[in-house]
Amino acid sequence: MTMLRKIRHELNTMPKFVYITAALTVFGLSIALYRMFVGLGATTNLSKEFPWGIWISFDLATVALSGGAFTLAALVYVFQFEDLHPATRPTVLAGLLGYSSVMVILLFDLGRWDRFYNVFLHPNVSSALLEVSWCITAYTLILVYELSPVLLQNSRLKCLLPIIKKYTVPIVIAGVTLSTMHQSSLGTMFIIMSPRLHPLWSSMLLPVFFLISSFASGISLVVAGSSVSHWLFGRSLKIKTMAKLSWFIPWILAFYLVIKFGELVIAGEWDLLFSSGNYSLLFWAEIIFGVLIPIGMFAFRQVRFSRTASLIGALFIMGGTVLNRFDVTWFSIASVNGEVYTPHWMEIAILVGVAAGVVTVYSLIARYFPVYEETEPHQLPVEVRPFENSHAAGD
Amino acid sequence: MTHQPNNPRYGFLIDASYCIDCRSCMVACSVENNVPMDSTRIWIKETGITGTYPDLKRFTAPFHCMHCKDPSCVSACTVSALTRNDDGIVSYNQDICIGCRYCVYACPFGVPNYQWDEPLPLVIKCDMCFARLGEGQQPACAATCPTGAIQFGRYEDMLAEAHRKINERPDKYVQHIYGEEENGGTATLYISPVPFEELGFPIAGTTSPAYSNRLVTEGTPMVAGAMLVGLTGVYLTIKHLREEAECDRVEAAKEKAAQSAGEEQ
Amino acid sequence: MSIDLSRREFIQLGAATAGALAVGQLLPPMVVQAAQEAGMLNTSGDGTIPSMCEMCVWRCGLLAKVRDGRVVKLDGNPDHPHSRGHLCVRGQSGLFNTYDPDRVLHPLIRVGRRGEGRFRRVSWDEALDYTAERMLEIKQTYGPEAMVFSSTHNLSQVQFENLLYAYGSPNYGTQRSLCFNAMIVANLMTYGIEEPERIYDDQLQYIILTGRNLMEAVSTSETGDLSAAIARGAHVVYLDPRFTKTAAKATEWLPIKPGTDLAFHLALLNVIIGEDLYDHAFVTSYTVGFEQLAQEVAAYTPEWAAAITEIDADRIRRIAREFAAAAPHALAHNGWRTSNFINSFQTQRAITILNALIGNWNVTLRAGGGEASGALGTIPQPAYPRSSAQRLDHVPSRFPVVPLKLGVFQELRDSILSGEPYQAHGWFIARQNPVMSLPDRARTLQAFEKMDFIVTVDILVNDTAWFSDVILPEASYLERYDPLNVVGDRAYLRQPVIEPQGEARSALWIYKQLGERLGLGDYFQYTDEQDYINQQLAPLGVSLEDIRSQGYVDLPPSEAGGFEWNTPSGRIELFSDTLARVGFSGVPVWEPPPEPPQGEFYLLTGKVAQSTQFGTQNNQMLHKYADEPRLWLNEGVAADRGLVDGDWVEVSSEVGVGHIRLLVTPAIRPDCVYLTPGFGHLSRGLTTAFGLGASDSALHVTYTDPVSGSQALSQTFVTVRKV
Ligand SMILES: Nc1nc2c(c(=O)[nH]1)N[C@H]1C(S)=C(S)[C@@H](COP(=O)(O)OP(=O)(O)OC[C@H]3O[C@@H](n4cnc5c(=O)[nH]c(N)nc54)[C@H](O)[C@@H]3O)O[C@H]1N2
Ligand SMILES: Nc1nc2c(c(=O)[nH]1)N[C@H]1C(S)=C(S)[C@@H](COP(=O)(O)OP(=O)(O)OC[C@H]3O[C@@H](n4cnc5c(=O)[nH]c(N)nc54)[C@H](O)[C@@H]3O)O[C@H]1N2
Ligand code: SF4
Ligand code: SF4
Ligand code: SF4
Ligand code: SF4
Ligand code: SF4
Ligand SMILES: [Mo]
Repeated sequence: MTMLRKIRHELNTMPKFVYITAALTVFGLSIALYRMFVGLGATTNLSKEFPWGIWISFDLATVALSGGAFTLAALVYVFQFEDLHPATRPTVLAGLLGYSSVMVILLFDLGRWDRFYNVFLHPNVSSALLEVSWCITAYTLILVYELSPVLLQNSRLKCLLPIIKKYTVPIVIAGVTLSTMHQSSLGTMFIIMSPRLHPLWSSMLLPVFFLISSFASGISLVVAGSSVSHWLFGRSLKIKTMAKLSWFIPWILAFYLVIKFGELVIAGEWDLLFSSGNYSLLFWAEIIFGVLIPIGMFAFRQVRFSRTASLIGALFIMGGTVLNRFDVTWFSIASVNGEVYTPHWMEIAILVGVAAGVVTVYSLIARYFPVYEETEPHQLPVEVRPFENSHAAGD
Repeated sequence: MTHQPNNPRYGFLIDASYCIDCRSCMVACSVENNVPMDSTRIWIKETGITGTYPDLKRFTAPFHCMHCKDPSCVSACTVSALTRNDDGIVSYNQDICIGCRYCVYACPFGVPNYQWDEPLPLVIKCDMCFARLGEGQQPACAATCPTGAIQFGRYEDMLAEAHRKINERPDKYVQHIYGEEENGGTATLYISPVPFEELGFPIAGTTSPAYSNRLVTEGTPMVAGAMLVGLTGVYLTIKHLREEAECDRVEAAKEKAAQSAGEEQ
Repeated sequence: MSIDLSRREFIQLGAATAGALAVGQLLPPMVVQAAQEAGMLNTSGDGTIPSMCEMCVWRCGLLAKVRDGRVVKLDGNPDHPHSRGHLCVRGQSGLFNTYDPDRVLHPLIRVGRRGEGRFRRVSWDEALDYTAERMLEIKQTYGPEAMVFSSTHNLSQVQFENLLYAYGSPNYGTQRSLCFNAMIVANLMTYGIEEPERIYDDQLQYIILTGRNLMEAVSTSETGDLSAAIARGAHVVYLDPRFTKTAAKATEWLPIKPGTDLAFHLALLNVIIGEDLYDHAFVTSYTVGFEQLAQEVAAYTPEWAAAITEIDADRIRRIAREFAAAAPHALAHNGWRTSNFINSFQTQRAITILNALIGNWNVTLRAGGGEASGALGTIPQPAYPRSSAQRLDHVPSRFPVVPLKLGVFQELRDSILSGEPYQAHGWFIARQNPVMSLPDRARTLQAFEKMDFIVTVDILVNDTAWFSDVILPEASYLERYDPLNVVGDRAYLRQPVIEPQGEARSALWIYKQLGERLGLGDYFQYTDEQDYINQQLAPLGVSLEDIRSQGYVDLPPSEAGGFEWNTPSGRIELFSDTLARVGFSGVPVWEPPPEPPQGEFYLLTGKVAQSTQFGTQNNQMLHKYADEPRLWLNEGVAADRGLVDGDWVEVSSEVGVGHIRLLVTPAIRPDCVYLTPGFGHLSRGLTTAFGLGASDSALHVTYTDPVSGSQALSQTFVTVRKV
């Protein structure tokens, strides 16, 4: 009785958008179920010419954005910028959900999902996709581990916390390594497809490009994320901490810019920048919005210290990365005998479903678990911790 | 690390000037290999009818797996469903395949077919009639071709024959053997009276991207190792420096205290 | 009780064969046993059995790969001159005919109205008793001539003919007048030989193909021969209003105006004689009538022909000179389906004479071995009853030079309709689909309506069986024995490679059973198929068991390379007295064919590689790899009429209409359309083929060449409009 009332109360106080996302999730997943029964032909526009579609593009984009988790983990645990610590929980959670969604989509994408385990039974070491799948699996487990304190904190299994804490650092190091591996391997995957890729994107350095851009967009995710949660849940990172984080952005992007163009020059494909019509446009869009503008913005202290400005800058970067992943996996792929790919509505429905699922779960966890524990409610006075200024970077 | 691909033992020599688009090869293949009705391992590429009435031309050629010396599909395959044996035959193990379709994308010749309308689909791909070779028979497509457009034999012989033919009739054949260099060389060789692009053959590079791919993928484990060590190193150093800084401060505090104490006496 | 024929199933090769095995087991596995004793199958029933393809009349040798009682693959037999290790696309698909889910595997007797497709499954005894009963009834009431028999060339046809002659009917319809009468009669008139054998040796330099589309109307070995000749650099001139796959391989394609091939060849003769390019020695010693010929063709100059054929004079002249220069290593191909126009006989005569003039006899042409061989034993039988009644197809009365065994099928059909000179009442059809193959399908169906009784022997419920009263299921060519087939100096064996499915039986068995029930048992003195073959082999001192595993037996070599001909004069007759005496021109003369009125088109037919006649459109494997049947229309014309590729159009002739999708192409003359033959089936018992394409038989008007009795299939004119 009281139980029931509790539940009803919960449901009533639940933010309304959760209902919508939940509905979308159910819809998307039922279509996914249908796909499992009738196969890919009827439910997607995938073809011999374009055997991969928007799902793969989504996967790569998501993984890149989720890069925040390992970037931050590295900074906090390995390079020991302790005051970034508060950001880890929400970021790790975001990362975990990102990766889970990728895994779910992949399952729908696999023709023989019923034998996914062959990835472990019959590995082919020279396959980039193998590395990706291994790393992603392993890394997802590690994210679970990193997040476990949040979930265990108020449970009977509290007792485990010390042990978990004890091994955090080595686990994190492993995690960071794995991420580096698969972030880059995702790029490697497209080296063997060079015959199909437009030269503006096709490159032996793809793994490096992917890795670096995942740093940048990863950090951006943290920045953007905390800005958003600042409004949504009233909890967030201290602006100072955020500023410290975003201080890295211009440097990373600058480096990205240098090698990206450096490679084009050395490969003698400089002219393609202007001669390839729409391809040139797409490429420049990536560079200008995803790299140049953000560099300009985050170079300024005022931007780094403004939640709104940072959010905008971060969104630019993430947008740029997402576009880049879509270019590599879709837009830049040469069409064979006139075939072009545009996703089937069911493909999109399934995608939306999974994405909506992620948001739903995130909101629920954020609601019931101490995700923002260490982050400060911004109405409270700022509590000061030692070493605060000892190595505050940037300003 | 990156293995040196040997020459294939067997090869095809396909002459587009003979092919009459009768599709006997396609049926022979489908029956011999019990290929599902919704798919095929071999198909016909064609120029279509070119020219203007009444000066018309039309050329066709059968197209199946090239059996690359360094097959992109084999390097790409997530699991070991695709393999190249010592005779240079690239075959597919349908019991291992997970259906990622990476091979379909990776093959520069667009060879692997996929069962799009099956709930649990498989890749459909030519295996050079591996089973028939075992029984001392020619591949089904080559055996049945009424015009002899598809020749099959030892790779060296096929290559030599190809060179002989185009050298003897430069007026008839374009001076290019498709497959001699393409994608690093393939067991299937083509000669044609028309440029291969006109037949709709993909323009493939002379080295297989599989090689560059392996350079990276097979190097990765080492990079990983290095990173583990590196990161641990970084962690320990920083930790150490921090602790030292801590001690120094404590020492300094102690000294201060001691001095002030001395002045009081 | 009645069964529904229009069901839809898909062959999963595995599944289908498994099913086949199941029915196979109803019978003692005699096939397997025999094959095992001959060492062709191992104990587990795996192995290879040599036999013969029957997907068309070329009859290539095949090697059937058998896996525990199921045939899983057919390969060309290297030991057979027609296959030489290869099979064409239809031969490769053969087992999909045998395992067709639509196969008729039990005798059926009609229960519904004709054409309603409702049949009752009956026992063989009932079916055979009933058939014999009705045939006797007709014989007693109207005389044997009231029973019409028709069948298309097949190995057990000798016993079919045996049945009809023993029964006493003169009325015998074959596909020949729809196919090659013009060519056969022309050869008979010129050489006294039905069809000289063509020799494609290494020296063959020049080939003229008059609408012989060898690259699509495939005969595996000859298609290979032509291909090899082209590869060696032989010059190939190809005459066809369509740019076919043969045209694509030929040295030059001449889009000749339909029906004017005669003018073209007359002009070649004109040049070769006028410019004195012919082989004097050969002509003087081996031919008769050169003077009359020279006189006649003097008028047929290239300039004259150019205006008619739309091929310019210089080109004609050049070809004539090149052809003569290549002599004797040159060949003017007679073609095969030469049933195009009412002047096709004259065309064929001109071609045979063209060959004679350059003296290529025994170089590129020779007297072929033929199919009957004296070396084989025959089955003893009493003499046939003399039939006083004249034939309904007016052979020889109206067609004096047409051999009885060829006949004029379309005339037979029309006499059934007119009831003149007498009314036929019954029709026995075997391995034939006259509803589809005769021109003017509507008339054929009317003729059916005149019949009290129709029985069809087939492996499928083809369109003819669909309208029949009794359907007798024959075992497919992979399930039965047939009489030996002589090619060159060998007799080849057709033997079953699997057990017959269901209750299907060989034609040899069926005809014998009927014969006995008709009281004609003496005409069928063989106990079973194997005994039949053993009687054939007896003179050679070998038995069936001796030749099983090899699949053929060598015959005493027939001496080839002679220079005598079975003509009245014993020579090659450039001028034919036989023709002259019955009122036809003794030498080929120009007969202008009719031309389509403004806005109408010649309707052309022509084989496609992936189907045979009207019998294989239901083959699922061929269906998978064949193009959709279409109506070809020249792109220029289409543009003028605002028609685009893929449009649905209505094609109409004076006798019928059809609806079909358009193929807009540069590959056809502007004054022609071409319709993929063999489609537009009426039988719902053909569940794969039914509903596909349109039937050209429904459009074809019946025109008959007065000399050879050949139907003129290109002489129908049609209109085309968008629907
Ligand atoms: N694949 C396949 N092969 C077959 C058969 C089959 O059904 N399918 N059937 C077999 C049989 S029974 C036969 S008879 C042969 C027939 O084989 P062919 O003798 O080659 O006869 P078709 O293919 O019927 O027609 C050949 C060409 O004649 C052209 N034509 C039409 N009218 C004229 C004309 O007035 N002048 C000229 N020069 N050309 C004209 C048509 O456009 C067509 O391309 O094929 C045999 N082989
Ligand atoms: N409109 C049009 N008419 C034509 C032609 C054309 O191109 N267009 N071509 C002409 C030519 S060249 C010819 S030769 C004739 C052919 O005319 P037909 O001989 O009447 O036609 P087919 O399709 O050859 O008939 C063969 C029948 O035998 C059946 N059959 C197949 N195998 C077996 C078997 O083993 N046993 C038995 N009992 N039956 C079997 C098939 O199912 C099919 O029904 O048609 C002529 N008529
Ligand atoms: S069988 Fe030979 S001729 Fe026929 S399509 Fe195949 S390759 Fe071409
Ligand atoms: S052609 Fe394609 S499928 Fe065949 S071996 Fe080469 S890469 Fe693999
Ligand atoms: S689809 Fe199958 S064969 Fe192709 S790459 Fe993936 S696992 Fe390998
Ligand atoms: S070699 Fe065998 S599998 Fe490959 S295409 Fe030819 S028939 Fe098919
Ligand atoms: S030509 Fe083709 S269909 Fe005819 S017998 Fe030979 S293989 Fe069979
Ligand atoms: Mo025919």
